[in-house]
Amino acid sequence: MMFQYFDTLVTGIENVLENDPSQKSHRKLYALEVARLGRRLYSGTDRLAWCGVVAPFDLLAAMGVTSCFVEFIGAMLAATGASSEFLKEAEDAGFAPDTCAYHRAVLGAGRKGMMPEPDFFIATSAPCTGGIGVMENMAAMFKKDLFVLNIPQNDDPASVAYLADQMRSLADFVSRHTGQPLSMNRLAEAVTYSNRAAAVMSEVYRLAEHVPSPVCAKDLRNFGIVAALLLGTPQAVTVAEAFRDAFAARIANNTPGVPGEKIRLLWIQNRVQFKNNLEDLLENEFHACIVADELNDVTWDPIDPADPFPGMAKRAISIPLNGPVERRVKHLADMARRYKIHGAINPCHFGCRQGTGARGLVALGLKQVNVPVLNLEVDCVDTRNYAPGQMHTRIAAFIEMLENRGNPWG
Amino acid sequence: MNGPQLKLAGFACAYTPLALLDAAGMTPFRVLPVGGDWPDQAGTLLHDNICPHVKRVLNRAMAGDVPELSVMVFMNSCDAMRRLYDAWRAIRPQDRTFFVELPPTADENAVPYFVNALKRLAGELAEAGGDPIDQARLLNSLVAWKTIANLQDELRARVRRGSFPGGPARLQEIYNQCASRPFSDTLAALDALVRAPEEAAGNKGLVPVLLFGNVLPDPEAIALFEQCGAKIADEDLCTGSRLFAAGDPGTDPDPFRQLASMILGKPPCARTFDSSAPLSFARNVLSRARQAEAAGVIAHVVKFCDPYLARLPAVRETLRQQQIPFLLLEGDCTLGSLGQARTRIEAFMEMLR
Repeated sequence: MMFQYFDTLVTGIENVLENDPSQKSHRKLYALEVARLGRRLYSGTDRLAWCGVVAPFDLLAAMGVTSCFVEFIGAMLAATGASSEFLKEAEDAGFAPDTCAYHRAVLGAGRKGMMPEPDFFIATSAPCTGGIGVMENMAAMFKKDLFVLNIPQNDDPASVAYLADQMRSLADFVSRHTGQPLSMNRLAEAVTYSNRAAAVMSEVYRLAEHVPSPVCAKDLRNFGIVAALLLGTPQAVTVAEAFRDAFAARIANNTPGVPGEKIRLLWIQNRVQFKNNLEDLLENEFHACIVADELNDVTWDPIDPADPFPGMAKRAISIPLNGPVERRVKHLADMARRYKIHGAINPCHFGCRQGTGARGLVALGLKQVNVPVLNLEVDCVDTRNYAPGQMHTRIAAFIEMLENRGNPWG
Repeated sequence: MNGPQLKLAGFACAYTPLALLDAAGMTPFRVLPVGGDWPDQAGTLLHDNICPHVKRVLNRAMAGDVPELSVMVFMNSCDAMRRLYDAWRAIRPQDRTFFVELPPTADENAVPYFVNALKRLAGELAEAGGDPIDQARLLNSLVAWKTIANLQDELRARVRRGSFPGGPARLQEIYNQCASRPFSDTLAALDALVRAPEEAAGNKGLVPVLLFGNVLPDPEAIALFEQCGAKIADEDLCTGSRLFAAGDPGTDPDPFRQLASMILGKPPCARTFDSSAPLSFARNVLSRARQAEAAGVIAHVVKFCDPYLARLPAVRETLRQQQIPFLLLEGDCTLGSLGQARTRIEAFMEMLR
């Protein structure tokens, strides 16, 4: 079912692009590469690893392993309206409904045979301890080996060295399973693609800062976190360049992402993954534009292709959802300043202790830079308690408040 | 064990290296989520759906019901503890706070890294007014820790034999005292208890159970199990036996290395696991239940605890396969929440008879 879904998606987009090149767009190119990844995941032919969010996907690509973080599947199931069945399956098996629904959906999908059997699992301790628990369950379910990358919270030389050593051990682990040694030349090539993609992604984000912004809410939804899955490949560069060129053209043509942009918003953590009207509501009713997402940023330095492990370790430690909340707030405040944000929306994903857990501290931190935060009570994957009317009311009140106070950045 | 200690070192997690605090001349002070009726203010900083242990510890701190601390040590044990660290720094900026990395596994890379984290903490404690920790001091403290663990083992054996007046509830009081006293006082108190003659405490007719989980420090809550007909034949709680339980120190002469092995080798909280044996937590529970000859197993887990919630289905299934009855209780660290479970505990015990 999932293979057919992705295969149909790939074929459909390829046909459109072939028959009508004028339809080519950055978003279509992105969707095509994501669909191709999905097709490979479910092809049954590739070497496959299910991973935690901050696994080094470029290292795995260099070693010929198709890999993906499991939350991607939770999000896909939600986006296609199929998550409820799998959430119920997990709950019936004893997984508590007050845990993260990304994870419950994945566990349910695994139990119902909707997750292809991998060659092995790679858990990462960031962003959350809940994620590790899921990987341990999945490894037991499939009776496959599990490698754990412990991502330190502290960003210091000892922590970077420790994580770099773990990544070297990971390469050995992968080699043992694939029978193929790591080629440092291939890794250097993959890292070079990652560096190029990261540089172009930085350009994309700088363009999105433009006032008025060239982006609309759907342009960059889930972009940063999903683009990480393409790192180490030329496709990552191609997709990033398509976004950069599209936004540059919009700025040159004076075509903002949201016509009549009035309010500029920062979206904290992840978007709501199932179909909903929040983004349309913001743009069409209030001319409010999500110009920035917390996870759409390049928080790491270029990685040395000749000695890539320390750089990959720094990258994993640097993500906004890792480390103390002070660092996270500093990053958010910096984004607010760069993007000239009026207000921030935090969809407090029910069951997320890591990201949502600190919501009060995040709100207090952004208040100090004069950016109000709207905390929405919502589960980003589970539709069963979604109350659109309540969301509408809260968003309307928030936007009204923002309109009355003006832009804090002058 | 080292000299007289007055400087309080706060902590909230059973993985805290208490021997290191002792070696630094500090008195461990566990900020327990019991002992007061503090206003619920944690929700202003953290989401309501976060571990009630962390929220109550935070409520306690926000209410000012924490003594002056020389340091406050946090372990990177789980998401909730990370957020507690963040919130603590926001509400008590005057405290010297330390955050210690704690690997979730004890693999070949993890142990040396944890050793370095402990050495770094030793340096930080000295900078915060603690005594400099040399090898001899730390070795003394490790010996004291192990002695405390052995003495507690003996008290648990007496509880099992029904020869410790006050039973498991009194033992819980002792655990709580041990968590917030200088090692020297703890040793003296435990030694006196062990030297006292055994007395019949009357636990006949009770049904043996294994009690495991995380935070359940209220002696009244522990007493409730006995009132419902359960004899706690063995217990594995982070506010109970697990705090002073120690793994094998190994043969390395470096005391920091020994300390790391003793901590990482403790009976594990659900957040610590063996990646080569996924969900072995469930098999450990089974093994412990069999060893205790328990007729049933009771888990008491605080709500929203992801590490436990992720492993409990495997525990349930493993016990089911062995036909060992299992009762899961979720709580919020208050006696009230457990009181509501009395009927369920009574029914469970009725079934076991």
